[in-house]
Amino acid sequence: MNLKSIYKYGSPPHYFKLSLQLEYWLLSSGITLILIGMIGGLFIAPPDYQMGDAFRIIYFHVPSAYLSMSAYACMASASAIGLIWRSNVAFSIAKTIAPVGAAFTFLALVTGMLWGKPMWGTAWVWDARLTSELILLLIYLAYILLHQSIEDRSKADRSSSLLALVGIINLPIIHYSVVWWNTLHQGSTISKLDSPSIASEMLWPLIFMIFGYTIFFAGVICRGSAGEVLIREKRSKWVRAYIEGIKL
Amino acid sequence: MLFRDIIRRDLKLSIRRSTDVLTGLIFFLLIALIFPLAAGTERDLLLKMVGPVMLISALLASMMSIQNIFKPDYINGYLEQMMITTNSFSALIAVKIMMFWMIFSMPLIVIASFIASTYYVTGFSIFTVVLTLLLSTLSLVNLSAFAASLTLAIRYPGALISLIVIPLSLPIIIFGSKAIEYSILSMDNSGPLYFLTGMMFFTCSLGPLVTASAIKISID
Repeated sequence: MNLKSIYKYGSPPHYFKLSLQLEYWLLSSGITLILIGMIGGLFIAPPDYQMGDAFRIIYFHVPSAYLSMSAYACMASASAIGLIWRSNVAFSIAKTIAPVGAAFTFLALVTGMLWGKPMWGTAWVWDARLTSELILLLIYLAYILLHQSIEDRSKADRSSSLLALVGIINLPIIHYSVVWWNTLHQGSTISKLDSPSIASEMLWPLIFMIFGYTIFFAGVICRGSAGEVLIREKRSKWVRAYIEGIKL
Repeated sequence: MLFRDIIRRDLKLSIRRSTDVLTGLIFFLLIALIFPLAAGTERDLLLKMVGPVMLISALLASMMSIQNIFKPDYINGYLEQMMITTNSFSALIAVKIMMFWMIFSMPLIVIASFIASTYYVTGFSIFTVVLTLLLSTLSLVNLSAFAASLTLAIRYPGALISLIVIPLSLPIIIFGSKAIEYSILSMDNSGPLYFLTGMMFFTCSLGPLVTASAIKISID
């Protein structure tokens, strides 16, 4: 893939076609992976010797927490690309990611609280990682609200992209919060690849879940941003051709 | 000299529109004075509370009065004229932010040193309160100016400004409160103060750049 094809897919009609083609593959394979991971995690994996069955929420907590941060990184990169090349496609991707990323952040917080209530004895502690994850949710919300409140769409795109770029300071804080501050939230379980601190029967469903969530996320973004591109280009010829093609 | 013009103009405007400045200062005073009445007036409790109260009141007051830093100039076209001069736009914005800090935050710090004594803070700790507020208001003003410039095109940006500023300013609030708390407990507070100083240089150097580009987006 050379630079020329990148420019090609930066143009709205090509991006629209590509994302429509990718969407079904991504969504179906993502859902399949999630289902396999769910069966493996909820039924096949043995219960933990300390936590019993309660540990199984890890199969939902870890992928959403991981995606809440990766989605932000994607959003910030798309924002930067949009700001530099004034690309409408990049702005639509960034705008589509924001609510999805906020949803994953919310999921990560809620699943963590559900697990924390029986395990830590409290649903919420003012732990560095929990707090920084909450701030991530607030930044997502600020992005969404800022985008909605500015009436001029081009200004809204660029202003909220600037906010997304400034908010990226929060990502390393979340990632290293368990290393820098020795607080309640435990360190990572699977990133130590040579000696993972988790049994392999428990590990493979988690890996399936993480890949499934990521691919599902990509599919959702394809679908959402394709719609966004369609709305933005509603006055152009190719959209008219596309709509009339559907009606026939 | 354009810089001198901006300084003179902002000073003159702050005298002519002194209600804007005074409202912010009175707001700060009221928030800081309402806490002991609500939470109780025991000496130990107040000494524990003074750090967070000072930082949060300063944050709220600067978020409230920052709405007027660019808005009038945006409406009457002064910002646009600033943009087309040969000077660097971000340098001019830096001057404007520093003028806002001088006009609004310096009196606030003076008031804060008096409020601190109503919280039973004595001696050297009052100096720490002043120093902490000096460092943290510089960062807070830069962050709030960024939020104000992002929301220039919005008619009522109040709540949105706080949604943008509060997550970003959290480290300053946390370490600022720590610096005051450690000083009152007569512990070594150089760590939080170094952090605040670092944040101050970070926001003062990069803040005007980001703010200037946000204003450029809002204008064209």
